[in-house]
Amino acid sequence: MLRYLVRRLVTMPLLLLGIVTIAFALSNLTKGDPLISIIGERQMDNPEIVAAAKARWGLDRPLPERYLRYVGNLVQGDLGISLRTKQPVAKDLMTRLPATLELVLAAMVVGVGGGILLGVIAARYRNRAADHAARFVALIGSALPVFWSGLLLLFVFSVLLGWLPGPGRLDARLTPPPGVTGFYTIDALLAGDFTTFRLALTHLILPACVLGWAVMGIISRLVRSSMLDVLAQDYILAARAKGASGPRVLVNHALRNAMIPTLTIIGFSFAYLITGAVLTETIFSWPGIGSYTVDAARSLDYPAIMGVTIVGGSAFLLTNLVTDIAYAVVDPRVKLG
Amino acid sequence: MRALGTLRRMGLPMIIGGLIVLFWVVVALTIDLWSPYDPFSIAGRRLRPPSEAHWLGTDALGRDVLIRTLYGVRHSLPIALLVVVVSSLGGALLGAIAGYVGGKTDAVIMRLVDITLSFPAILLAMAVTAALGPGLGNAAIAMVVVSWPVYARLMRAQVLTMREREHVEAAIAAGAGRVRVLTRHILPLCWSPVLVNATMDLGQIVLLAASLSFIGLGALPPTPEWGQMIAEGAVNFYQWWVALGPGLAILSVVLGFNFLGDGLRDLLDPRSP
Amino acid sequence: MNRRDLISGRHLGWALAGAMLAMGVGGLPAMAQDKPLVIARNMDINSLDPHRGFCDTCQIYFSAAYDTLVGLGPDNKTLTPKVASSWTVNENQTVFTFKLDPKAKFSDGTAIEAKDVKWSLERLKNLKGSPAFLMDGVKSIEAPDAQTIVISMDAPNSEFLGMVAAPYMGVINSKVAAANGAAAGADAATADKAEAWFLANSAGSGPFTLASYRADDELRVKRNGAYWRTAPALSEVVIKQTKDAVAQAQMLQSGAADIAMQVDGETAKTIKGGDVVVNTIPSYNYVYVALSPGAKSNTVKLTPEVREAIAAALDYKGLIEFTVGDAGRPQPSPIPNGFPGSDNLPEPKQDLARAKDLLAKAGLDKGFEIDARFPNMNVYGVDLSQMMQKVQQDLAKVNIKAKLQPLTFTVWREQVSGDGIPLTAVFYAPDYYGSAQYVQYFAMIQGGPWAKRAGAANAPDIINPREGDLLKQALAAPADQQNKLYRDLALEMIKDKIIIPVVSPDMIMAHGKAIKGVRYSACCNLPLDEISRN
Repeated sequence: MLRYLVRRLVTMPLLLLGIVTIAFALSNLTKGDPLISIIGERQMDNPEIVAAAKARWGLDRPLPERYLRYVGNLVQGDLGISLRTKQPVAKDLMTRLPATLELVLAAMVVGVGGGILLGVIAARYRNRAADHAARFVALIGSALPVFWSGLLLLFVFSVLLGWLPGPGRLDARLTPPPGVTGFYTIDALLAGDFTTFRLALTHLILPACVLGWAVMGIISRLVRSSMLDVLAQDYILAARAKGASGPRVLVNHALRNAMIPTLTIIGFSFAYLITGAVLTETIFSWPGIGSYTVDAARSLDYPAIMGVTIVGGSAFLLTNLVTDIAYAVVDPRVKLG
Repeated sequence: MRALGTLRRMGLPMIIGGLIVLFWVVVALTIDLWSPYDPFSIAGRRLRPPSEAHWLGTDALGRDVLIRTLYGVRHSLPIALLVVVVSSLGGALLGAIAGYVGGKTDAVIMRLVDITLSFPAILLAMAVTAALGPGLGNAAIAMVVVSWPVYARLMRAQVLTMREREHVEAAIAAGAGRVRVLTRHILPLCWSPVLVNATMDLGQIVLLAASLSFIGLGALPPTPEWGQMIAEGAVNFYQWWVALGPGLAILSVVLGFNFLGDGLRDLLDPRSP
Repeated sequence: MNRRDLISGRHLGWALAGAMLAMGVGGLPAMAQDKPLVIARNMDINSLDPHRGFCDTCQIYFSAAYDTLVGLGPDNKTLTPKVASSWTVNENQTVFTFKLDPKAKFSDGTAIEAKDVKWSLERLKNLKGSPAFLMDGVKSIEAPDAQTIVISMDAPNSEFLGMVAAPYMGVINSKVAAANGAAAGADAATADKAEAWFLANSAGSGPFTLASYRADDELRVKRNGAYWRTAPALSEVVIKQTKDAVAQAQMLQSGAADIAMQVDGETAKTIKGGDVVVNTIPSYNYVYVALSPGAKSNTVKLTPEVREAIAAALDYKGLIEFTVGDAGRPQPSPIPNGFPGSDNLPEPKQDLARAKDLLAKAGLDKGFEIDARFPNMNVYGVDLSQMMQKVQQDLAKVNIKAKLQPLTFTVWREQVSGDGIPLTAVFYAPDYYGSAQYVQYFAMIQGGPWAKRAGAANAPDIINPREGDLLKQALAAPADQQNKLYRDLALEMIKDKIIIPVVSPDMIMAHGKAIKGVRYSACCNLPLDEISRN
């Protein structure tokens, strides 16, 4: 076990370097000059301005030199400066991370809560109408394109019914609550500002529901099957109780088995949610990492593209490692490596 | 009689899935013969709500939304098919080699798999498409890059299991060459999870392609691709019918392939949950 | 569109209804009288450094935080005193002398002196940022005393006063800026380190100062307490990042925003309710189609006759209706409506018979293929790809097959300046009030940007020598003669048939009923100091 852990930790930097290299290669393969975002289209005809901009942003150096510089800076935590916002990419990402986290966590609450509810209903009323209905609702969620359901729900709830506010994290007139966690909802509560809390919450509901619906499918399916397993074992328990061989062992066994799919849920839905967040943030004008990435891809802001890819890739790598280890801890049958 | 038995074993969802997929395939193949409008030219006044002449209304250029939606399958399905076939065959091949040969080859291939899988799919697809330039072709390349690792892993796991089987050892003892053992004795037993995954992947690729087009990195106008159409629908937000057709189309296609894949899995391996 | 038509008895999440009622979603909480003004806008800010930024939203911010020597009056033509209380121009338009207003003060209370103006203009030139071209042709800037600034040009430039009103020429507090890393010397391009500082601070004398800026989120300015002229009515203005017109319209309707400037015609029609006022006014922006006879991928020679045929085949009326509904005007020449030289120009008209005739004479009645690549964007309410699809349909009527290929802006730019694109489309917005910029950019003058793009190297016969002469005359001409000269230039550019403007979309200003003083300015987009709330 320890040897496995060490081996994984040792190969991680190699993998990270691989990620960085791929990200660097991709952004420099781009057709089209990122200079346009910096100095504007009309100035591209002016050779003096173009040369000055190239020198300032280091775009006139040869590729290998730029690569080495980038990796060198990366090790010190410097992800470069965004060509679009003119601010350090690391700072941009840190500023936007809480918005995405707030959305993803809220979506997980909706997705896990809704998924469990639907899964339990489906298991309880197995093969009857309610089972099919619950599974159908969950299924639709995972087949719906998130950017379409977002538009649809926005139209229905914000325009038609007027129950929920439009896109954005907060009403434009309000100043966001003093940043403690960066989550507008929590910060507003901490500051005792219930009006802002209420508004932040109503702005959060639609995107969280749209995103959460996407994972309800996976979660409810897993809940349903584990519930069915548990129910089956109940009978076994009852039968065994008459000549019991230790209900405690069974409970332990069942619980441990239930942990594996739970871990899968967390790891898997997190990945799913990050993917969905990119599109959801675009629809709901949510200033998080997702919309930052889309803006970066559209304007060929290569430091930002690289920054997001590297940070995203590394986060994934870490999550996978943790999940794999947790797997091994929970179920010794799982062969590592 | 055996066919009927298979049909019953398939269960309702799988039949529905199959019907949906069949519907779209038929549309894709025959729509040129019976479509009343051309998806590229003006069919009526712009942005008109659903009416008798236009069941899903018209879009910002006056084109019939329903017809464009139906034509859209000609862009989404072939691309999805291409991507899934290439990534599944390519990935499975690499996975089989990794599992069978083992050693350094295995390590290299698996590291590649790990690196590729470390990127969230849409991020990687966006980055590759941004590098290559927008267009369905480049989006297809990006999607292949994103999809092959799963097949490699699947195949490798299968090969590793099958490698230890008795009949394989018997074949090796009988003097069969490595390639022959792999192709004749191992691979035929490994294809079912790949097939199931590929079927469900078809729906996911349609979704991914639509997502890329929505951002502007996939299909470009005037192609009637569903993601691109939904992007246009977002611009004409108050004209809800513009996005309705393509959205429902994507939903039905993904559901269809999901049902089909689910049913296939039940048929081929009833033991899995 | 009636809500009832759309609902038709569907059940929609009743579970939420209870929660929503409990939360009482609907109106905003009661707030203080002096609430901030919210402008919903898609910010395209590339920098908050007045000598680096170059964008529409930048114009709004720079003119709010920084004062220029002269301003542009509400008629968008007359120059008004600002930091300079008076000015004189010598006979041949080469020397401009400004006398500074002794009352002029920066936001920190210090007086504006000639040395600040000299420093600011030199920094604009030496930083070599996007707006640096405004200082092209400036020979020297002298400050003979604390209240006088003398600017000398290489050659006569009657445009210069209009350029001085551009927000990028704002006067910066040189002491404060230099203390925070700004440099104005000849090596400013590498020595200056102040861009990051400008993202959080302003150092000007304008009616507002920068309160905060969060990229992709909002830009906040607050009233300058020490403003040396009449203080603005508003105490705080927020420009809130809102990507699309629909979201802007929604914010306006719900009261979450007070002003929305980028709502297009179609969306504007959906804004209901008496609380919102929608004003449609002509703008100086336009969208145009351009031909490049020198482009590599041309299948036939784009002679003047062929170009005229293409121009005659376009359904201008239909294009305007298609792209912006009725919220747009025909644009006869590359000089925008309302600028000097744009009066009484012949309107473009579709003439299919003439187009077919010209093509037949050139032996092309069977038609030909033409490569049409363009940036895939939506500007000023015009979706370029929709517009080009209509162009494609119009050209098909005379057997010209346009092969459409939308590109990302950056890729388009590379292609149009590289090998050239036979048929393309793009937009233009004025940098300041004056027609010379259009001639310098669009006319077929040797070395001009569009002359290059149209392929003057491969097809030198497109160069129009008369335009070069007329421009020189216009730059040296006194004010009363300029109109005629620019009108002649406009007619020449129409004859070129290289740049074919399609539509000038109207500026749609949508704002709450209680908001007053909202107006569109040719130099500054939206002057914030004139806005007030009832």
